[in-house]
Amino acid sequence: MTAIVEIDGQTGRLVLSGQFDFSAHRDFRQACDDVLGKEGVREVLVDFQQVDYLDSSALGMLLLLKEKASAAGKSLALVNCRDTVRQVLEIACFGKIFTIR
Amino acid sequence: MKILLADDAEVVRLMIGRFVESLGHELLLASDGVEAVERCVAFQPDMVLMDMLMPRMDGPEAGREIKIRMGERWVPIILVTAVEEVGKLADAMEIGADDYLLKPVNFRILEAKIKAIERTVALNRKVREQSAKLAEYYDRAEEEKRVARHLMEQLVSHERLSDPQLHYWIAPAESLSGDLVAAARTPGQVMHLMLADGIGHGLTAALNVLPLTQPFYAMTERGFTLTDILTEMHRKVRQVLPTGRFVALAFVAVDFVNCRIEVWNGGIPELRLFDEQGGLLKRWPSRHLPLGILPVDALDLETERHTFQGRGNLVLCSDGLLEARNDAGEAFGLSRLALACAGWPAEEALDRTITSLSDFLAGAHCHDDVSLAIVDIDPAAVRPLPEPTGLERVPQMPSEARWRYSMSLGPDELRSLHTVPLIMGFVNQVRPLANHHADIFLILTELFVNALDHGLLQLSSSLKRDADGMEQYLLERSLRLAALREGRIEVELAGYDLAGRTMLVVRVSDSGQGFDSAWLGAPDVRRPSGRGITLVRALCASLHYFGNGNTVEACYLPRDAS
Repeated sequence: MTAIVEIDGQTGRLVLSGQFDFSAHRDFRQACDDVLGKEGVREVLVDFQQVDYLDSSALGMLLLLKEKASAAGKSLALVNCRDTVRQVLEIACFGKIFTIR
Repeated sequence: MKILLADDAEVVRLMIGRFVESLGHELLLASDGVEAVERCVAFQPDMVLMDMLMPRMDGPEAGREIKIRMGERWVPIILVTAVEEVGKLADAMEIGADDYLLKPVNFRILEAKIKAIERTVALNRKVREQSAKLAEYYDRAEEEKRVARHLMEQLVSHERLSDPQLHYWIAPAESLSGDLVAAARTPGQVMHLMLADGIGHGLTAALNVLPLTQPFYAMTERGFTLTDILTEMHRKVRQVLPTGRFVALAFVAVDFVNCRIEVWNGGIPELRLFDEQGGLLKRWPSRHLPLGILPVDALDLETERHTFQGRGNLVLCSDGLLEARNDAGEAFGLSRLALACAGWPAEEALDRTITSLSDFLAGAHCHDDVSLAIVDIDPAAVRPLPEPTGLERVPQMPSEARWRYSMSLGPDELRSLHTVPLIMGFVNQVRPLANHHADIFLILTELFVNALDHGLLQLSSSLKRDADGMEQYLLERSLRLAALREGRIEVELAGYDLAGRTMLVVRVSDSGQGFDSAWLGAPDVRRPSGRGITLVRALCASLHYFGNGNTVEACYLPRDAS
């Protein structure tokens, strides 16, 4: 998986692509720290457009990001989830604690 | 470095030796090949400078011997020679030498070569150290896995899973499974089943699910309900797991006596109930977040109930089964699962599913733990009513009880205490009664629930007649319990010695208006209400109501252990 950070004004977008599982741990953490470290960013979007698969470790990483984002006072949303990703998020009922768009 | 110099010419040994020592290295000398090999073995030099032509054993031959004797330890060998014949030099390098230097020796080049070798030796040593460390890590990890696997097996305990109504299968992706299937019966014979899926797989995933087993088994044994156990498991998981770790879990309670299935699903693919023809009767999709994510008091405990009439299969599985992919990248999926297991006897359904998955994968490897549980929902699988013991001629009871255990509960306690499991904690420790805790649980539950529901809360049993009625009954019950301002229930247990046997007397009284116990005289076992009391009467030596029906006394004489 690759994780690219795009900044547009107050919005930081984390564009992920490929398989989001435990092997993405390091890249994801790096990208999270990058985007949360940007002073002007108020909102973080995790973009799943190019993610074809995610597993439970990925869900764990999202929980960690959520905690870090709220500690940094930034809002967080998961965007562009396609079918397989949406399904996993639905089974885990992540809609109850994440904004999914 | 420790450098061995082998040359039959003393003048060479002197000249090169002095130079080597002047560079600060430790020098060892040998005057022929045989001696070179011996000294290598004895003193383990870091590198060897060796003449090509020597008596007894020549340089290339000695080089090969040294390489063999040193085994895994790499000792670089440089031939120092006047031989300029390319073929011979190449042969020597092929059988063991690492480099060569032509005589007369240019000291500037010799120094550079020694330095280059020194760098390589250091690198080589580092690699060896690291690989030794890696091997050690590997061994340690294997040992830890072995211990963890043993622990898991002990805690999960396969014997406890041997329920006649349950058929299950777990296939770990690695040596340890992060999926857990646990099943046990409450003292009231309600089957509790959980399928848990820890995040990831291997050791950490297995560790994630471990905290669940203890509350599951201990609390089921004492007759706690699904929601009580869930609360405790969630508390445990929150307590021990770090952020980002959680456990997806489905908890099922199957009450074969009352033909009810109750389900709580947090993060497990939907549970499905198929009838005997394979038709889909009911689905329980995940409605909750997995355990360990929300704060302790934010857990949503709402369960979904279903009343069954006929026989069928309740199917639970982890996402590892549905997402198992073949080489073409296709997932096994819900429809293949349904095709394999719906409409077959439960045990066969399990086998068919395993076979179907293995055919589908055709040797491809599963990347996640796979677990599957099928409950044979059989309305006939009910423990038969015990024969009435008919011991009306109970021998004269001694006036003095050996022990008494009593409690008096007001509205707050009735709302917050789990009274029957609490008393069961005591009963399980009274040795003569411990083996009969299922009977005692039933007696206590019936008498206590009657006192609370009908005595204090004034609920009518007629509500319970049909499936919807039950929901309504439970809703009404929780509303009235929350609103209860006054009232009291007294429970007393007393143990009497009866010619070496223990007689248990349970007395429950409530401060309610009482009821006419006469209708209990003609019980109908098919009627949902009153069945409980019939069962209690069958288990007990005697059952009497006093006053206006708000005090009841049951004498229970444990049947022989048979």
